[in-house]
Formats: sequence, C-alpha cells, structure tokens
Amino acid sequence: MNKEAPLSVVERDFILDALRENVRLDGRSADQLRSLTVSFGEEYGHVKVQLGKTSLIVRISSEVAKPHDDRPFDGIFNISIELTAMGSPAWENGRQGDLEAYVANVLDRVIRHSNALDTESLCILKGVSCWTIRADVHITDYDGNLIDASCIGIMAGLQHFRRPDAVVKDGQVIVYGLDERVPVPLNITHKPLSVTFHTFDEGKVVILDAARKEEQASEADVIIGLNNAGDVCYLSKFSGSPVDALVFVTKTTVALEKVKEINSIIDKALQADLAKRAKGGLAEQARAENDRLIG
Amino acid sequence: MSSPLILLPGDDVPADYLPSNASAPLRLGTGLRLLSQPNPTPASTPSNHVLTATQAGILSTDNRRNAVSILPSSNRRYIPTPGDLVVAQVHHSSADYFHCMITPQSPHALLGQLSFEGATKKTRPMLRGGDLLYARVLSTGLGAGTEVELTCVNPATGKAEPGGLGPLNGGMVFDISTGMAARLIRASSSSSDQEDGVAGLVVLDELGKKLEKAGGFEIAVGRNGKVWVDCSNSEEDAVKATVAIGRCLTTIDEHNLNPTDQRKLVTKVLRDMKIES
Amino acid sequence: MMGGPIASLHPLSRADGSASYKCPSTGSNVLGSVNAPVELPGRRDALKPEDATIEVFVKPGTAPSGVGERYVEGILRGALSRIVLGREKGYPRRGVVITLAILGGESIGRGGSYLPLLPALLHTSILALLSASVPLSMSLSATMLAVNPSGEIVRKPSITDARAAASLHVLAFTSKGHLLLSESEGRFNFDTWDKVYENALAVCHGTSTLSSDGDVAMTENMDTQPLEGFVRDTVEDHIRAEYAWKVDAA
Repeated sequence: MNKEAPLSVVERDFILDALRENVRLDGRSADQLRSLTVSFGEEYGHVKVQLGKTSLIVRISSEVAKPHDDRPFDGIFNISIELTAMGSPAWENGRQGDLEAYVANVLDRVIRHSNALDTESLCILKGVSCWTIRADVHITDYDGNLIDASCIGIMAGLQHFRRPDAVVKDGQVIVYGLDERVPVPLNITHKPLSVTFHTFDEGKVVILDAARKEEQASEADVIIGLNNAGDVCYLSKFSGSPVDALVFVTKTTVALEKVKEINSIIDKALQADLAKRAKGGLAEQARAENDRLIG
Repeated sequence: MSSPLILLPGDDVPADYLPSNASAPLRLGTGLRLLSQPNPTPASTPSNHVLTATQAGILSTDNRRNAVSILPSSNRRYIPTPGDLVVAQVHHSSADYFHCMITPQSPHALLGQLSFEGATKKTRPMLRGGDLLYARVLSTGLGAGTEVELTCVNPATGKAEPGGLGPLNGGMVFDISTGMAARLIRASSSSSDQEDGVAGLVVLDELGKKLEKAGGFEIAVGRNGKVWVDCSNSEEDAVKATVAIGRCLTTIDEHNLNPTDQRKLVTKVLRDMKIES
Repeated sequence: MMGGPIASLHPLSRADGSASYKCPSTGSNVLGSVNAPVELPGRRDALKPEDATIEVFVKPGTAPSGVGERYVEGILRGALSRIVLGREKGYPRRGVVITLAILGGESIGRGGSYLPLLPALLHTSILALLSASVPLSMSLSATMLAVNPSGEIVRKPSITDARAAASLHVLAFTSKGHLLLSESEGRFNFDTWDKVYENALAVCHGTSTLSSDGDVAMTENMDTQPLEGFVRDTVEDHIRAEYAWKVDAA
C-alpha cells in the first residue's frame, strides 16, 4: 500500500486554480525554494537537512574492503535509501515501494554516475584493498521533494566526512584511528545537485520544490541535475503528461541559480561547523589535560 | 482552578481531583480506566477501586457533566468517537453505502446512501471517489473490528443538524492536528468577548473581522484534523483569502502561537497575500 | 562529568508520535516514531482479533539491517507488548508501528552485541508511544550495567567499558518498579546478578527500599536523577508546552 492517501477533488481543483493565479498554498512564488537549513552532528558526515517540512538525516561511513575485480584502482561508493514508516505513515517498513526505487535511481545518477566523489582516490592498494564509502539516507519527515533534499544531504555529507588515514607499509595496510592521525577529507570533483520541477495545467504552470500535496496534484515532473559551473549531469522526465522542450531550456537557467544558492548554504554550514570544531577541539584538549591532572 | 495535574500511564487519579457530585454517575473519558486494586487493609476504605491513567496528559474534570478524562497529545491520530463531526472523503461507493476515509491508513467508514437530509432512492446525492463530506460519527460498534458508521442527518429529526452536514463543494481542505481541531470546534461554536478568545484561539474572530469586507468565509472543522474553508463570496480574492486562512491555521497549530501572536500573524499573512482588510 | 540523557518529544510532524533520545555514556542517539492505530494491510488474517499487533523496526545508521536488528526487534516487541493496552478503543486488529533509526554513536558491527543500544531504544520507544497517546498500562525505564573482570559493577558504562566487561546486563523496570526485561551477556553468577539488579533499580528508580506491603518506595538518589524521573519530566515538560494556552489561562 506504500502510497499516500489520494487527494480529494476539492484539494486537486483548488491547488490548480490557485496556481493559475500564481498562488501557492504556502505563499511561495513558483521558483522559490522552501526554507532550507543544513546542520551537522557530532560525527563526521552526519548531516541534517530541513527543507520546509521535509526533513532527513544522512550519515556517511567508511570501511576498508576489497575493490571490485574489474576496477582494481577504484574504491567503492554506495548510496542507500530506505523509506520507513517514520517519514510517512503511508510507507511500510521493510517493503520497497516505487518511490524508493525511483529516488534511489535518480540519486545514483546525479551523484554517483557524475563522479562527484573521486573513487580512484579511495584506492589503498591496487586490487587488494580500498575504501568503501557508504551514504545512508534516513527520511524523517516527508512533505515532498525527496530527491532534491536527499541530494543536498548526501553532497553536504560527503564534503563534511573525514575518513581515517591509512598507509601501506611492506605490503600491509595500516589504518590509523581518528584520534591517532588527522582524518582525511574525501576528494570531491564537483558538487552536483538536483532541482525538481512539477508541471500543471497542460504544462503551462511549472513550479519547483513542490510540497507533498502539490506533487500529488501535478501532471508530471522534470528533474535537472547540474553543478555550480552549469554542467548538466542529469535530465529526466519519467512519466506523466508531455512537457514542452522549451521548459527544459528555461528551467535549466532557474536550476543553475538554485544550485548556486543551495551550494552556498551548504558552504556556510560547513564553515560554521568547522569553526565550532576548532573551538571545541581546543576545549577538548584542555579538558583532557585537566582529567590527567586530576587522575 | 488549581494548577493542572499531569498524569502518566499507570498513575492513579487522586481522589480529591474527581468531581464531587456523588449523586450522578461518574463519566469516564479517554485515557482513564477503572482498576480494582488488591487492598492490603480492606477494612480501612470502603471502595477498593481506583482510576488509573492509560495516557500521558493533563487531567480534565467537568463538574457539570460529572466527567473526568485525560487530554490527549494534540498530534495523536484521530480515533472515531460517536457524535464527533468529521471531514470525510469518499473512496468508493457500493450498493447501499459510500465507503469513506476519515484518517489515512485506517479502515474505511460507512455512510448510508440515504443518510442525507430528505434523501430517497431518487434524490440521494451522487458522490464519487474524492468527494468530500461533512458528517457525524453515528456509531463505532461494540467489540473488536466493527465498522465505523457516519451520517449526514440527525436520525431523530431527519434534518442535517447542525447545519452544513452533507457534501462539501469548492473551497479547500487543510490538515491540522487533532488537538487544534478540537480547539477550533470549541472556538467556532461559541463566540467569546474575552481577550484570549475560546480555547486560547482568537484567530477565527480576527479573520472574521478582517475578511468581512472581502465577503467573509465558511468553515467546517473535522475532529479528524481536517478543516474545510470556503471563501467563494470573496469573488476575485477567493483563492488568496482561502490560502491566507489555511496558512494562519496551520502556522498557529505548528508553532502553538498565543493570542497576541495570532493577531500579529493574521495581519502579516493578509498583508503578504495582498488582501485588503 | 557527563550530563544526563537528552530527549525530546514529538520532533517529527508526519508520524503520529515521535521522540529522540541520546545516552551520554554510550553516545547512542536514537530517533523513533510511532504510527497507531493503523491498518496493517495484508496481515489482517494473522492478527489476533481482539488485540493490537505491535511491530518494531530498527534501522541501523550506517549499514544495511540484518539478523542483529531482527533479534533486537524481537526483544523490544516482547517488552513493549506487556505495557501496550491493545484492547482499548480503536486498537484491536490494528497495528502499532514503532520505527527506530540509529542516528548517532558507534555502529554495531556485524555480529556485534546490541545490548549497549538497548536502553536508548527502549527509552525512545516509550517516549514515542507516550507522544502518540497509545494507551499503556504503565511507563518504563531501562539501563545497562557492566561487570568488569574484577567483579565490580560499572554504572553507565561507556562503549569501551562495555567491550572490556566480563558480563553486560540490560534491565528495564516499569514505572511501578517491576522488572520488565533482563538481558545479559557473558559469564556471571547469581550473586553478581542480584547486585546488578539492585544497582539497576537504583539507577532507574533511585535508591529503593522495599516496604512491608511489597510496594517500592522511592527516594531520590543524591548524585543523578533516576531515569524514571527523567522520562516523567520529559513528558511533563512537553505537555506543559503543548497545552500552554490552557495552563496559562488557568
């Protein structure tokens, strides 16, 4: 049953009528993002994203593993997303629905296939050992636009994450603990994000960052994945009514603007966290010394 | 009124908090159950029954009705109770019934095809999946697994009482918490001259005053956390006014705003939406 | 010194009830949601007709879920079914769906012990159930104790303490002081367990004395607040905030 309850006729009609007058339920304009906050937890790679009422947590983790036989020089990077009843009562635990597969596929294409994370830099010893980086997306509140919110979370997480340092000595791999050696940031080649648009009224109305009810009332969705430089790495229109090709052209410009806006929000959050850690690190050292004195 | 008593599951209701009217039977509301307690000294107290909370919440007593209950968490899921007004959505119809959704991920409730004011086989409303209704919960049945039944008439009079029961056309529905829905029902059924309004809500009065010039609005609040709003009298401002009302109600619910902030919010939202007041 | 646990009630908006809980000594951080009463499609025939079905789903933070999660789900379901009143109005034949996501702290490796996470999982569950107003006979609190190789009992063990321990014990008590759950690992004898029980009861309910009529009388422990009181305060604070419009008017 992994489906939200259907909209009533009243809701569907009203959302469309309002959009024709350029009015959205939360008072936003068509190309306006909901308020976005990105924050980080104590561990490296723990990100919380709040996009309007949609919220999620991403955790990045690393593990030493054997590289795939056909790519001995490459590390491994996986994105895992599982929708649970936490995000929406309509989702059933332990059962994969269409939405889950769809979101996972788009995230894979936007981030993994565009080589946002340089997997070659994850190689430790050719054909023997490499780093496996895993991004776990936990949807905690679903109110539309899972894809864009997840992209933001994963990209922020990859930039925030630090893996343990590892060296090869006499053919042996030695992994140092986070407290033994300064952990290493991941090698990010570019910062792609997705921007999702929904169309209404035979494609005449196009809005971005749709909330859940707007998504349900829409005719079709268009997803554009691109980075700050404007390189488009993903473009899709999977189902629903036809969309004029011109929409892709005009909305790519809007998407680029949004990607820049979102990336600057992520950058600011990263810098604020870095500053906090620098301060906290000093305090930590002082406390450790105090403990030693007392002990 | 003494300071509110908060109970957690397993806590006993202190005897001095119970309504003191001994002649009428005590009505037990939600969140409480009667337990007989093994009493070590049977001679000391005549009654060995005790009222115990099953939910966390504020103990609420009504001396007039001789009732006692626990006010539930305002975000809890709606559980149908006879007499409640709800905004229901038709899912499909069968020979005798409309099968309606009251809360998502719950079994459908039944509404008789003839349970409308003046409905006969020929004049009954033709409703389809997705249509909305304002209805009253008639019964929830006894025992496990029985179906919830709805009605759009008062079975005693055959009239749609209170007014407004029946299909809801036009307008928009907004989702609010069940706690907010209960407060809105109290606030919309009685008008108060108090500064703080009824149940801590001044938003309806405030919106009523400010939207009067624009043509006013109609509202139907369902205990199931849905509120239907219609401003079709406002003509060209209808959509904006409806969105404004929805934003006010959901924001107050989400942020638990006090009367002063409610007034500020109404002014701000109406200005945002460019509605003359 | 470390502070007490940190918890919040109803941090989420879609779920019917939710809670987060962070244990300072183990660092485990759990977010939980409860949806109830809901229809469980497809499993209707398997349900007991007169009772609610409790489902627990544990989602690890940085790994796919596996046998370890199914095992701990069983433990949680067993303990929680004893306090959920599944026959109250609206609950028979419906589901109480509890979803717990592990958001912080050291992740449990394959085949690793789930005991260090169990108290946080139990506290998150009970707080989320309370936030969803699911009818309960009583509330609960839980703690983990480690017995180190020299036989001393370590209260509030860290992950390092737990790894070095000769035996690990998780005990949960109802708000009435009954033992609700006892899970142990390692080698220990009955005397040790008795000591563990006394210590766990003290952590959850304060230093306790058994009075003549069998009721447990509670007195406040001097150094830290008993966990039972912590659960109560968290819930009361939330209710006061939620009903501020009523409390202030009174």
